[in-house]
Amino acid sequence: MPILTRIFKRSISYLTLIIIALVGIFPIAYLFLLSTKRRIDIGDVPPSLKIEWAVVVENYKEVLFDRSYISSTVNTLTITSVVVIISLIIGTPAAYALSRLKIKGSERISSTILSLRFMPPVAVAIPILLSMRFLHVANNRIGLIIPYVAFSLPLVIWILIGFFDEIPTEIDEAAEIDGASKWRTLMQVLIPLVRPGIVVAGIFAAIFIWNEFLVGMYVIDSESLKTVPIADAGLISAQRPIDWNVAATVGVVTLIPLLIGSMAIQKHIVQGITAGAVK
Amino acid sequence: MNKISNSKSFLLRHETKTLIGPAIVYLGLFSVFPLLYSLGISFFEFDRVAGKWNFLGLGNYKEILSDKTFWSAIVVTAVMVGVALIVEVVAGVSLAIFFGQKLKGSKFVRAILITPMILNPVVVGLMWRALLNPQWGLFNWFIGLIGIDNPPIWLADPKWTLWTLIFVDIWQWTPFIFVVVFARYQALPTDVFESARVDGASPLKIIRYITLPLVSSAVVFAAIFRGIDSFRTFDLVYGLTFGGPGRSTTTLSFYSFENGFVYYRYGFSSALSYIMVIMATIGFTVLLKWIPVRRTH
Repeated sequence: MPILTRIFKRSISYLTLIIIALVGIFPIAYLFLLSTKRRIDIGDVPPSLKIEWAVVVENYKEVLFDRSYISSTVNTLTITSVVVIISLIIGTPAAYALSRLKIKGSERISSTILSLRFMPPVAVAIPILLSMRFLHVANNRIGLIIPYVAFSLPLVIWILIGFFDEIPTEIDEAAEIDGASKWRTLMQVLIPLVRPGIVVAGIFAAIFIWNEFLVGMYVIDSESLKTVPIADAGLISAQRPIDWNVAATVGVVTLIPLLIGSMAIQKHIVQGITAGAVK
Repeated sequence: MNKISNSKSFLLRHETKTLIGPAIVYLGLFSVFPLLYSLGISFFEFDRVAGKWNFLGLGNYKEILSDKTFWSAIVVTAVMVGVALIVEVVAGVSLAIFFGQKLKGSKFVRAILITPMILNPVVVGLMWRALLNPQWGLFNWFIGLIGIDNPPIWLADPKWTLWTLIFVDIWQWTPFIFVVVFARYQALPTDVFESARVDGASPLKIIRYITLPLVSSAVVFAAIFRGIDSFRTFDLVYGLTFGGPGRSTTTLSFYSFENGFVYYRYGFSSALSYIMVIMATIGFTVLLKWIPVRRTH
């Protein structure tokens, strides 16, 4: 009897696990399925699981080429790499200093930087538009890159502070005894050690850019300069009717880079998500 | 000797500046300055036709206080943040305890669970608009299977839209609470649980008297963190309901966006968002007390 109860309990647990997995993945899978349908087949309930490759090719061709998601994706990748590189170049030394050096008011500086992460983006969208106009970079990639670096920095710094904190201080003390300067200690000793942190911080900055459209909509007007999320916001928002198969395909094209990115940092995602504030 | 240490400390000070200076200058210029700029704008009115700014003093704020939509947006935001947060905390903590059993395959399911929160909110909105479509959405078909016929029109009936928005928020963000609480749960020493079990405590008692008290600070931290984020949510509303129908899902953030982006009422929008900045700052000050002390070694 106890064995039976145990088997019963186990089965309930596994059933729950399967349900949790389904609730998490089902909406995403449904989107993938819709992106393989003809427009007239969208109304079938439940949708057929048979996939016609000709239809798939047609849907994706329309989104990637006719609606120029290929060029939006390339554009987003370009902007993402520039933003990530600048954020890491500025953010890594700052995170090192805040984690390691005894700076007056270092706690206050760290918490002020973190507080910027919680500011409502609607509060800065208009000033950013006006500032970018003033700098003559509105409706220009630079006009996106400048604010995106500002949005990414607090996140990058906080994630990296967490990673720097995990390296024993003995390591940099040893380097200092050998006469290395702070910069050299950082560049030659510590950066190789926090490399996983740099990857995580970079990917989180990238995820931010693939989800941001509020400031983007203010700054960018030209179709050709829009990033994928800005194009999405115009194309598939609740306001605008669109063919569902095309909309679903747009959704899938948007999600794929994000899904790849999240797989790459599965292990460190906790640290990234809470911006390095939890250990 | 003294001279050497003096010049050395000067160098160190200099190094510190070059390490942290660029970040502070950059954030000052492109993060703090826009926030102050926004405060400035909130005292003006932008005349789009003349392209001029007229000084209003506290005019925008006065208008906001007597604006019905503002008050309804406060209620909508409060209900959304409050209800979503309560459900997310209960569900997230339950998930953390459930995953503590370490079933086979749970690692894989955890990876799936983490996915929703990194997804693009406009696409999340699209996904759920498809699932909840009154004609062919799979959600209604599914609840039809378990005997619920004639479901409400989730995204068009103002009685239901806010609840639908909350539901999608819960789907997307429960994993956040789970991830934070689970991380703490896993870091707990196992011997406490062992000895409780040896003493014959029931699983429920262990959860109530050992697990929950030990993870409570992580729960509070995750809840405040999520609360502030949910308070400033704009994108999911944009993707799922566009604030409607009527004003049923117009949150503070969305109302501010609408005034700025759609009606070009830059001053009014900034004043609205400044009220949010103040609220977010209060929330953040509370959060700060709950951030685990960083350097443990």
